[in-house]
Amino acid sequence: MKGPDVTWYLGVAAFMFATGALGVLLRRSPLIVLLSLELMLNGANLALIAFSRLHGGGAGQIFALSVMAVAASEVVVGLGLIVAMARRNLTLDVDKLTWLRG
Amino acid sequence: MTEITTSWICLFSPLVAVIVIALGGNRFSRRAAGVIATGSVALSFAAAVVAFATMLTRAPGNRSHLSTAWTWLSAGNLHFGLSVLVDPLSVFMMLVVSGVGGLIVLYSIGYMHGDDEERRYFAYMAMFVFSMLLLVQGGNLILLLSGWGLVGLSSYLLIGFWHERPAAIAAAKKAFVMNAIGDATFALALFLLIAKTGTLDYGLAFSKAHGLSQTVLILIALGLLGGAVAKSAQLPLHTWLPDAMEGPTPVSALIHAATMVTAGVYLIARTAPIFQLASVVQDTAAALGAVTLVMAGLIALVQTDIKRVIAYSTMSQIGYMFLGVGLGAYASGMFHLLTHAFFKALLFLAAGVVIHALAGEQDIRKMGGLRGLMPKTYAVFLVGALSLAGIPPFSGFFSKDPIIAATLERGGAFGYVMFVLAIGGTFLTGLYTFRLVFRVFHGDRDRFVDETFDTHHGEGPLVMLLPVGVLAIGATLAGWLQVPGGWHGVSSWLQPVAAPILETTNTQEAIASIVSVVLGLAGAGIAWWIYIARRRPAPAAVPAFERKFWFDELYDALFHRPAVTTAKVLYALVEGPLVGGSMAGIAEAVRGLGTGTGRLQTGLVRTYALALAASLAVLAVVFLAVR
Repeated sequence: MKGPDVTWYLGVAAFMFATGALGVLLRRSPLIVLLSLELMLNGANLALIAFSRLHGGGAGQIFALSVMAVAASEVVVGLGLIVAMARRNLTLDVDKLTWLRG
Repeated sequence: MTEITTSWICLFSPLVAVIVIALGGNRFSRRAAGVIATGSVALSFAAAVVAFATMLTRAPGNRSHLSTAWTWLSAGNLHFGLSVLVDPLSVFMMLVVSGVGGLIVLYSIGYMHGDDEERRYFAYMAMFVFSMLLLVQGGNLILLLSGWGLVGLSSYLLIGFWHERPAAIAAAKKAFVMNAIGDATFALALFLLIAKTGTLDYGLAFSKAHGLSQTVLILIALGLLGGAVAKSAQLPLHTWLPDAMEGPTPVSALIHAATMVTAGVYLIARTAPIFQLASVVQDTAAALGAVTLVMAGLIALVQTDIKRVIAYSTMSQIGYMFLGVGLGAYASGMFHLLTHAFFKALLFLAAGVVIHALAGEQDIRKMGGLRGLMPKTYAVFLVGALSLAGIPPFSGFFSKDPIIAATLERGGAFGYVMFVLAIGGTFLTGLYTFRLVFRVFHGDRDRFVDETFDTHHGEGPLVMLLPVGVLAIGATLAGWLQVPGGWHGVSSWLQPVAAPILETTNTQEAIASIVSVVLGLAGAGIAWWIYIARRRPAPAAVPAFERKFWFDELYDALFHRPAVTTAKVLYALVEGPLVGGSMAGIAEAVRGLGTGTGRLQTGLVRTYALALAASLAVLAVVFLAVR
C-alpha cells in the first residue's frame, strides 16, 4: 500500500468535519449553512474511503457513494427552499425563520 | 298433522311475523304490518285448535307429549332441549293466548291507525304473543324462564311504546324493575332446583323433588311464588300494573287478558307438584291472592281513570285465580283465567272504543250519558261488567263461584277467612264495576262529551267492533263450558295434568253461588243508589284507597330514597375527590408536560444543531470512557 498513513487522511477528514460543523453552528445565511453541511458530509466520506482503503474492503466506498447520493438530493431540496424564500423576499437568515416553533 | 307439528307452528308463527315486519321496514305499508301480525297470531290460533281437536280424539291418559327439536343449551352435565310440551294445560293456554291475543291484535289495526310507528307496534305485539306462547309451551323450566323474561321485555317495550311521554317511560321502567325482582327469585329457585335435582325437565324434577328436604322445597316454592307474584301483579309486587295503563289500550288488554298477568297462575298450576310438597307456600299464594283481591277492589272504588279501574279489577280477579290455584283447585283457577280473558279483553277494548271516540280522554268524571251515543259499546260493556260482577248467566258467575266454594271445602279458620275475603271481593266487584258503568254510560252527559264526541266517527271502524263483538259472545257463553252439578268440561280436560287437591260438593257450590250473586247484586245496587238514584256527588274517597294503601310511598321511602341518599354520599366522598380528582390531576400533569416540552422548540435551527452536536459529543465521550 502506498501513500500517506491513514492517520493523515483521518486528520484531514476531522478538520473538514469540524469546519463544516462550526459553519453550521455559527453562520446565519442558509446558503452557507448548506455549504457547511456539504463539508461535513465530505469529511465523513473521506474517513469512509480511508478506512476502506486500509481494510481493502469495498463496503466503505459503497457507503461513500450513497452518502453522495443523499447529499445531492439534500442540496436539491435545500436550494429549492432557499430559492423559494428568496422569491418571497424573505430575509435569508436562519435565526429569523422561527415560525414553526411550538 | 299431529298435535306436535301444529304446536311448533303455533309457537313460531308470531316469531316469523316479528322477523318479517322488522326486516321489511318501509317495504310494507302500516296496514300490511298489522295484517301480517294478525294473520300470524290467527295462524297460531288455528294451529292450537287443530292440536286441541287432535288431542280430543286421544285417550285422556295419552295426551301429553314432549317434542325436542335440538339441544338448545348444554353446560357440563346439564342439557336443555328446545322442546315443546303438548299437554292439556299447555293447549288450554295456547288457545287462550292466541285466540284472545289474535282478536286484540286485530282490534289494534283500527285503534292504532294513523300512529307514526304502527309497524314497530305490531312487531312488538307479535313478539309479546310469541313470548307468552314460549312461556306456556316450553318443555322445561329453562324455556319457561326464557319466555318469562321475554314477556317482561315485550311488556316493557309496549308499555313505553309512546316513548315521547315521560309517564309512559317511567311506567315501563317500573314494570320492568318489578318484574325483574320476580325474575330473580324465579331464577334463584331454578338454580336451587338444578343444584338439588340436577334437572329442569318437568317430570324428572317433580319426581326427584319428593326426596328433598322441607326447607329446600319451601325455598324453591317461595322463589317460584316470587316470580308468579311479580308477573301477576299480586301483593307485594303489584304496583306496576296500574301504571302500565300508560301504554296503548290494546296493549293493556293484551297484558291483562291474554298474556303476562296470567303467567303466574299458569306457573303455579304447572309446578303444582312442588307447591303441593311445600304446602305452607301454597297457602301463602292463596292468602296473597285473597288479600290482593280485596285490596285491589277497594282501590278500584275511587279511581277516576277508566283504564285504572279496569286494571285494579284485573288485580282483583287474578287474586281469585291465585286463591283458586293456591287452594289446589287448579281447574277452577284456570277456568277463571279463561273467562277472565274474555271479559277483561272485552272491557278493555270497549273502554278503548270510548277513549278513541272521546279523543283520548280517560277520566270518567268527564264522561257520562254515553249510552245514547254509543249503544253497541254500551251493550258489550254491560256484558263484560255483568260477567265481571259474576251475575248469571254470564261467564264470570260460573268461574268465580267454584273458587269461593273451594274455600268452604278447605274449611278451618284459614278456609273461612279466605271465604269472607272472597265474598267481600264479590261485593266490591259489583260496586266498582257498576260505578264505572253508571258514571260512563248513564246519568247526565258531561259538556266535555258534547264538545269532543265526533258523530261521524261514531263507535269506530268495523275492525275494532268485530273483535269486541266476538269477545262479547265469548264472555257470555264461555261459562257454560263448566256448570256446577252439570258437566265439567275444563276440570276433566285438565284432570291428567293438574288434578285438584280438593273436590267441592254441590251444596258448597250452591252456597257460594247464592252468596256471591246476592253480594254482587248488592254492590251493583249500591252503585245504582249512589250514582243514579241520589244524583249527588260521590262520597269523599277514603285517603287509604285514594293513595293505593301507600304502597308507592312505602317503596319510595324503603328503597328509592335510601338509594338516592347513598348515591349522593358516595358522590360527595368517593366519586368527587377520588375518581374525579385523580382524573383531573392526570390531565393537568399531562398538559403541563406538553407546555414545557413545547417551550423547548424555539424554531432556531442553530440551537437544534448545537443540541445535536453537543449530545453526539457527550455520547462519543461516554462510549470512549466506558470502553
